[in-house]
Amino acid sequence: MTLLRFAGGSLLAALVAAPAPAQELPNAKAVYDANCAACHATGIGGAPRTGDARAWSAPIGTGINALYANAIKGKGAMPPKGGNASLTDAQVMAAVNHIVGLTAAPARRTGAKPVDTSKGKLVYQVVCAACHTSGLAGAPKLGDAAAWASRLSAGPGSMYANAIKGKGAMPPKGGNASLPDADVRAAVDFMLTQMRGGTALPPAGAAAPNPAAPAAPAVSVPGAVVLAPAVYESADPNAFNRLMVAPGRRNPPPAEDGIHDPESPGTALLQAPLLSFQSLPRANLGNYVNWVTALGKKQIQPRWDTRDPKAEPAVMDLNIVREVKGSMPDVVFPHKQHTEWLDCSNCHPAIFTPEKGANQISMAAIMLGQKCGVCHGKVAFPISECRLCHARQKSAGARTVEGPSAGGGRQ
Amino acid sequence: MSARGKTVAAGAALVAGVMMLCGGEREARAEYGDVVMNNYSDAAGMRPAVFPHWFHRVRFRCKVCHSDLGIKFKAGGNEINMLKIIDGQFCGACHNGSVAWSVENCDLCHSAKPGTPTQVHDSTINLLGGAGTAPTGASAPAGKK
Ligand code: HEC
Ligand code: HEC
Ligand code: HEC
Ligand code: HEC
Ligand code: HEC
Ligand code: HEC
Ligand code: HEC
Ligand code: HEC
Repeated sequence: MTLLRFAGGSLLAALVAAPAPAQELPNAKAVYDANCAACHATGIGGAPRTGDARAWSAPIGTGINALYANAIKGKGAMPPKGGNASLTDAQVMAAVNHIVGLTAAPARRTGAKPVDTSKGKLVYQVVCAACHTSGLAGAPKLGDAAAWASRLSAGPGSMYANAIKGKGAMPPKGGNASLPDADVRAAVDFMLTQMRGGTALPPAGAAAPNPAAPAAPAVSVPGAVVLAPAVYESADPNAFNRLMVAPGRRNPPPAEDGIHDPESPGTALLQAPLLSFQSLPRANLGNYVNWVTALGKKQIQPRWDTRDPKAEPAVMDLNIVREVKGSMPDVVFPHKQHTEWLDCSNCHPAIFTPEKGANQISMAAIMLGQKCGVCHGKVAFPISECRLCHARQKSAGARTVEGPSAGGGRQ
Repeated sequence: MSARGKTVAAGAALVAGVMMLCGGEREARAEYGDVVMNNYSDAAGMRPAVFPHWFHRVRFRCKVCHSDLGIKFKAGGNEINMLKIIDGQFCGACHNGSVAWSVENCDLCHSAKPGTPTQVHDSTINLLGGAGTAPTGASAPAGKK
């Protein structure tokens, strides 16, 4: 194993040094070169220049979906689809990804580390949040890109200085004179990363090098874990959706999804889910895609065999009704929708004995990831879609009436 | 008969559970079904691997991987490592330069933030356990620094 790791390591080094492999979305670069570069490579007419992280920080801060929309519909001096109406939405979105990818890239190339925001976040929560979360006394609100963009134009350097010395209604160091300057800078860095939607743009500290900022040590801030109940990007306490994921923030691209490392050279090459999903029927939860309909209408054609694109599943159309005590509608288990995707051996006998009523199933088990919960609530549609499973209305006597909604009743 | 009591208790648990399931705003909001695999990666100094279900299910039915290739329904439960992959198992059945791009593109798979524990992102258990905490796999989050 050591040997392999060694071999892997040197391979890795070789590959990272080489230019990114040609795995870019097939035509993103071509679309960009032909339709967008004229303005965005040069900055003509006020177009934010590709690669200029400062110029892009405000637009990117509004979220990738807003960028897609503005690039498609046009904005200010930016013509719809860059002036080429024959481009598909997908092509424009790919070009936007390309711009964002190139803009985020320089940070990687120069080896700049991502801003370590754990210290800054802690300071922010203890000292600055009182005013900056709510916008008290006219303080620019955390995450409010517009409020910050104008200030950022003076450069992050003056921002550090103002935060340390105070400005207007903002007391020096937020009123906490004993705070080291470096901690105030760390808090400012944290506030700026929030404005940028947490993307990989170079930290303000990189633009205006200052010796103290990198001193913020990594990780071990005692109490950080306890004190830091996720600062949500939308800090407006009266935002319409507080706990539910608001529509504009679903299916984020890999670099913004919190799991992929925006610093990894691979991340920018991965596909943004929306690019794939925009042509597919939508659903309320999960991937926000209705996979059953997408497959039924052949909008996707997933293979049944690794290599043979023509192999077809042997679909079995057999509904199993499971009566449920209490008020919840009965459950209809449709073999049809399952055997479109799965082999009998995926369920029988490991998960279910193939005999109607032979299996004990309860919601508790499902929520713990057993029975139907082996797939639902992980990869197949989530548990919150009660109606898709609880699909058959109970109506005394009329046992054959199927629920009006999808479930076993579909198709 | 305690069946009624059980139902009530289950109902209460359900309500509590469903509250969490409506998808609270969390810091990580990767695609539903993204699997992070980190049994060995952190310890080996690689970023953990991310397997995107949504991307692959556009191209393959579940059966291809979970029956033909024998991948068990358990994040982190297949003891996948690079030796097995270059021998053509698991990811290596396709990422071989013939069905899909080959194994030397390390960064396309190893793309998670270092330290991300093994998990199925957005899974019920993941949500009930709180924001991205509980790994569903058998793995101990290796090499947490
Ligand atoms: C004729 C010049 C021109 C062309 C061609 C052009 N852009 Fe733009 N673009 C602009 C200008 C100017 C702005 C700034 C608009 C503003 O903020 O008012 C802009 C802004 C943008 C923005 C940011 C929008 C926002 O939310 O603030 C995106 C994204 C974008 N362009 C993408 C593209 C893409 C993709 C293409 C190619 C398909 C393209 N542009 C082609 C001039 C152009
Ligand atoms: C008592 C309320 C209050 C506290 C506490 C506070 N701020 Fe402010 N802050 C303000 C106000 C008000 C402004 C707007 C000042 C103006 O532009 O006139 C502001 C502006 C700022 C700016 C923008 C400065 C510029 O260049 O425009 C930064 C950066 C900042 N605060 C950082 C911080 C940090 C870091 C902390 C915690 C260490 C903090 N603030 C704590 C009220 C506060
Ligand atoms: C997604 C999981 C799943 C898949 C895939 C699946 N089944 Fe089933 N099957 C079930 C469930 C659940 C039941 C109901 C068990 C119960 O009621 O306790 C069932 C019941 C059955 C029964 C009993 C019917 C009866 O009336 O008693 C048979 C026979 C059966 N399945 C055959 C198959 C065959 C053949 C395939 C492949 C073509 C298949 N199943 C695929 C989940 C599955
Ligand atoms: C082995 C994995 C697996 C298991 C176990 C499983 N399902 Fe599914 N189920 C799927 C997949 C995959 C789909 C396709 C839709 C999707 O992915 O969201 C599906 C679709 C469905 C649908 C169709 C919804 C529609 O829109 O038509 C229903 C209803 C359903 N499942 C109910 C159940 C019930 C009830 C059980 C337990 C008795 C169960 N499933 C167990 C994988 C599974
Ligand atoms: C993946 C399919 C599926 C989904 C989604 C689902 N259920 Fe169920 N539910 C079942 C099955 C299967 C049973 C067991 C039926 C039986 O007794 O045979 C069940 C049973 C129940 C019961 C009876 C008590 C118990 O715990 O067994 C209640 C109450 C219930 N479900 C409520 C809900 C609610 C509320 C939701 C939405 C948050 C929901 N279910 C979503 C499949 C599902
Ligand atoms: C097709 C996807 C894929 C590619 C490409 C890939 N890996 Fe992996 N790799 C994995 C998976 C999955 C694991 C298991 C992750 C875990 O559980 O920690 C893994 C584990 C590892 C491990 C730790 C386990 C072991 O075998 O030592 C190392 C080191 C590693 N990979 C290095 C590399 C290097 C170097 C490359 C490029 C030459 C590479 N990988 C390319 C998917 C991939
Ligand atoms: C291209 C291969 C591939 C396809 C296609 C695929 N999966 Fe997976 N699946 C995986 C891999 C890899 C894992 C993670 C295994 C590991 O970590 O050891 C996994 C894990 C899972 C898990 C385990 C989650 C847990 O509890 O830890 C479930 C459930 C699952 N897949 C369901 C499905 C369903 C349903 C489909 C079809 C809609 C599907 N998968 C399609 C490769 C695939
Ligand atoms: C059944 C075949 C198959 C298996 C098994 C498989 N993949 Fe893939 N994978 C593909 C194909 C096909 C593509 C698309 C290749 C292309 O773009 O040329 C792909 C693409 C990807 C991508 C890039 C997605 C993007 O955004 O472009 C990643 C990451 C990935 N696979 C990871 C994995 C990992 C990790 C495993 C193992 C745990 C795995 N795959 C197993 C077939 C497979």
